[in-house]
Amino acid sequence: MARTNLWPRVEPLLASIERPARYLNHEWGCVVKDDAPFQFCMIYPDTYELGQANQAVRILVNAVNATEGMGAERAFLPAVDMADLMRDAGVPLFSLESCAPVAEFDAVGITLPHELAATNILETLDLAGIPLHSDERAEEDPIVLAGGPCAYNPEPYAPFFDVILVGEGEEQLPEALSLIRTLRAEGAPRADILRALAREVGGAYVPSLYRWRDEAEAQAAGSWVEPLFDDVPPVVDKRVFEGFATSDAYEPMVVPYTEVVHDRLNVEVLRGCARGCRFCQAGMMYRPVRERSADNIVSAVVRGLADTGYDEVSLTSLSSTDHSQIAEILTRVNGACAGTGVRVSVPSQRLDAFGVEMAELVAGQKKGGLTFAPEAGTQRLRDVINKNVTEDDLFSAIDAAFAAGWRRCKLYFMVGLPTETDDDIKGIASLAQRAYDRAKAAVPPEQRGSVRMSVSCAVFVPKAQTPFQWDGQISPEETLRRVGLLKRSVKYKAVDVHYHDPATSFVEAVMSRGGREVAAWVEEAWRRGARFDAWTEHFNGEGGTGAAEALGRDPPADAQTDIATDYVLPWNHITAAVSPRFLARERARAAEGVTTPDCTFEQCSACGACPTLGADIQLQEERPATAGESGVAANPYRTVRATGPVAVGAPSAPEAVAGAASEPEAAAEVPEALHDPERGPRGEGEGSSEEEAMA
Amino acid sequence: MADPRLFRLRVTFRETGRLALLSHLEVARALERAVRRAGLPYAVSQGFSPHMRIAFGAALPVGVGGTAEFFDLFLTDYVAPDKALAALQEASPADLYPTAARYIEHKDPAASVACPVSTYEVELSEAPRALVVPEAVTVVRKKKEKTLAVADYLVGPVAHQGARVTFTLVSKPTGSLRADAFARELLAATVAAGHGAEGLHPTSFLRVEQRAE
Repeated sequence: MARTNLWPRVEPLLASIERPARYLNHEWGCVVKDDAPFQFCMIYPDTYELGQANQAVRILVNAVNATEGMGAERAFLPAVDMADLMRDAGVPLFSLESCAPVAEFDAVGITLPHELAATNILETLDLAGIPLHSDERAEEDPIVLAGGPCAYNPEPYAPFFDVILVGEGEEQLPEALSLIRTLRAEGAPRADILRALAREVGGAYVPSLYRWRDEAEAQAAGSWVEPLFDDVPPVVDKRVFEGFATSDAYEPMVVPYTEVVHDRLNVEVLRGCARGCRFCQAGMMYRPVRERSADNIVSAVVRGLADTGYDEVSLTSLSSTDHSQIAEILTRVNGACAGTGVRVSVPSQRLDAFGVEMAELVAGQKKGGLTFAPEAGTQRLRDVINKNVTEDDLFSAIDAAFAAGWRRCKLYFMVGLPTETDDDIKGIASLAQRAYDRAKAAVPPEQRGSVRMSVSCAVFVPKAQTPFQWDGQISPEETLRRVGLLKRSVKYKAVDVHYHDPATSFVEAVMSRGGREVAAWVEEAWRRGARFDAWTEHFNGEGGTGAAEALGRDPPADAQTDIATDYVLPWNHITAAVSPRFLARERARAAEGVTTPDCTFEQCSACGACPTLGADIQLQEERPATAGESGVAANPYRTVRATGPVAVGAPSAPEAVAGAASEPEAAAEVPEALHDPERGPRGEGEGSSEEEAMA
Repeated sequence: MADPRLFRLRVTFRETGRLALLSHLEVARALERAVRRAGLPYAVSQGFSPHMRIAFGAALPVGVGGTAEFFDLFLTDYVAPDKALAALQEASPADLYPTAARYIEHKDPAASVACPVSTYEVELSEAPRALVVPEAVTVVRKKKEKTLAVADYLVGPVAHQGARVTFTLVSKPTGSLRADAFARELLAATVAAGHGAEGLHPTSFLRVEQRAE
């Protein structure tokens, strides 16, 4: 189908708006495959600055473009000024590469990166001129797919999507698109295509093929959804990309003109994290842990820098310092970047893995801030959440960092964690002040005045598919009381306290735990004008009360109720391959304050992911068991270097990267659809990438 | 500042098509990335935050392109200018494209002040019957209104041939009159005098020459 080129109508709009570079396309590295017979549009439901930085969007566009006969283009939500102009001019949402209307594509994919993007999804569909509800779409409308972290509780989004893909999309998305292409070519009606997707594509959830039960019926039946046909799976397990470890770590990327949140080369060094923090959805979602080899990673860094011209490379993952070859990788990458002014950053380091050696390896000339995440103020509460770090770990990390030249440190905590008491809040103040004392002692006397310690508090958000999914969130009023107590407990002037807006966290909790009814509420909020961040006020202020009353909802109940572990949850029919039994067992261990070790270091914790997926933990070398144990504990699902040769191109000569001085810097934690949904991009201060985040 | 061991390469480039909508900062970043992609032996500054030794010419307003823009790049090793140019071209998109490269002296004026006189060429949506050059242009800078006398900045006449308008502005150490602000007032005055229809606007706006005074 020949698609419309909207550029002649878009261009005149660009004269009077902010940052026209968002809408230009023509960036270095963008791939145009507009002659392919099947066209897919990948959309990030926020502005270019957030979406273009997203690793999932990048991976999926590349995967579809690599498929014979398929082209993938990108689209982002225009900022409010541009969206208003487009509506006035009757210009629909367009893709970047061909500047074609999104509605003219064969299929459209929207990533669900975090809970606050919900109204933006409706804004996206509306601007594209695609009917908002799956059941209103005509035969010629695109098939609308979703995926990403929020797919693990898809119900608040269910009416808006034809298909929701759960899990890792590298193979799943091209598979789903191939099926759509085949069936469309055969002239199959839409309903048949959706049914075939549910039947044949692993991890595909088609909401319209399930009847939504009421609460009593759901509790009796053990599921909120009833398949309408025998061939529709009653439970959808996430997909895993088993070839991850041996696949090329170099993900070719578009180099943006305008500055985006993570404006740098990304090399994903490993996927998954089995540390087992009980609040963390990412830690449950990306099991099993799979490491790429040092050779693969170093080659990707060298080729990626030569191809993109970036001046920073980030070795990304949920927990990069857990990589069994991290010292080798950093040594080699530092060597390759020496003299070029290229910075190497390592986000998501564990503070118990940050010793003297690591401080030296990530230490260049510029020391930005460091972020450590003890998460809770007392050992009791850290045991409850299975954080598995001690005060001594923190103090050793502080010693190493400040001796290596850092002068600022941010400590990341959550308030409102299950079982939290005022003593735990006071513990945060005490820990931060003692950390400050340690930092000062590690610094020469004449520099002590420049030592800064800050405390950043997020509000605990119960996330689907985690051991704390049953736990209610504290109310915004209680959050403010606890933060007030914390502020009063901090006596040092050099220690300052920041906290997230509790109203935003409240919306996250509603979206995280709500059922299909919440979709109507999201739609009402959007109809009342909510888009981008502004929509939290529609949940909390007058508008939200109005929307909630109109629909007979009780938002605080969704967010704040403690639920019994035998209650059937609205996302019971979706799994991250981690068994509900494991989650309940972890919840019980939390109540007893008993920790569970990381299965990549020690014995299997029987979460169920490996056997359910038929996949193994893939490590390059053994990870050393924690202190006190000699040798490596047995784990039947852990394989070391069972990975085979890696298909990567020849590394370019190191001089192609020109120049020396590696510089560690900045790796803030704005999550990508594949990474760290714990810290929303609205959370820690958007794009504040002056920190090295340490989980 | 002037390290005698370095080589100062002046690269001329064009900024055309839709990339005229890039901001000065966006252009600067894109050019730095092209230099890295080209694999040239660029010099890196010493100090707290090491970065590429590169200097850019006078900024273009967003929406105004150029055919004779330039930057100075400091190299640690000599690379024949045609080879350096070829490497840069290989690493650049068509609308932000190096067209010439030559070595210049360290004592030559800095890129940002070397060429204060700029000639612009504007294609209009239709040919006006005549042009009315305003005497003053009021601009808002940092929320303060400022009125600039056109005579202080305009060099020579505003030429007009069909739909094409050509004019030359000089920037002063104390400030400059932005070409887009001048053109906006020029068209407004022309329309107000009845020499052009409402909605008269530029369809292309280029800086075509930059030179010393």
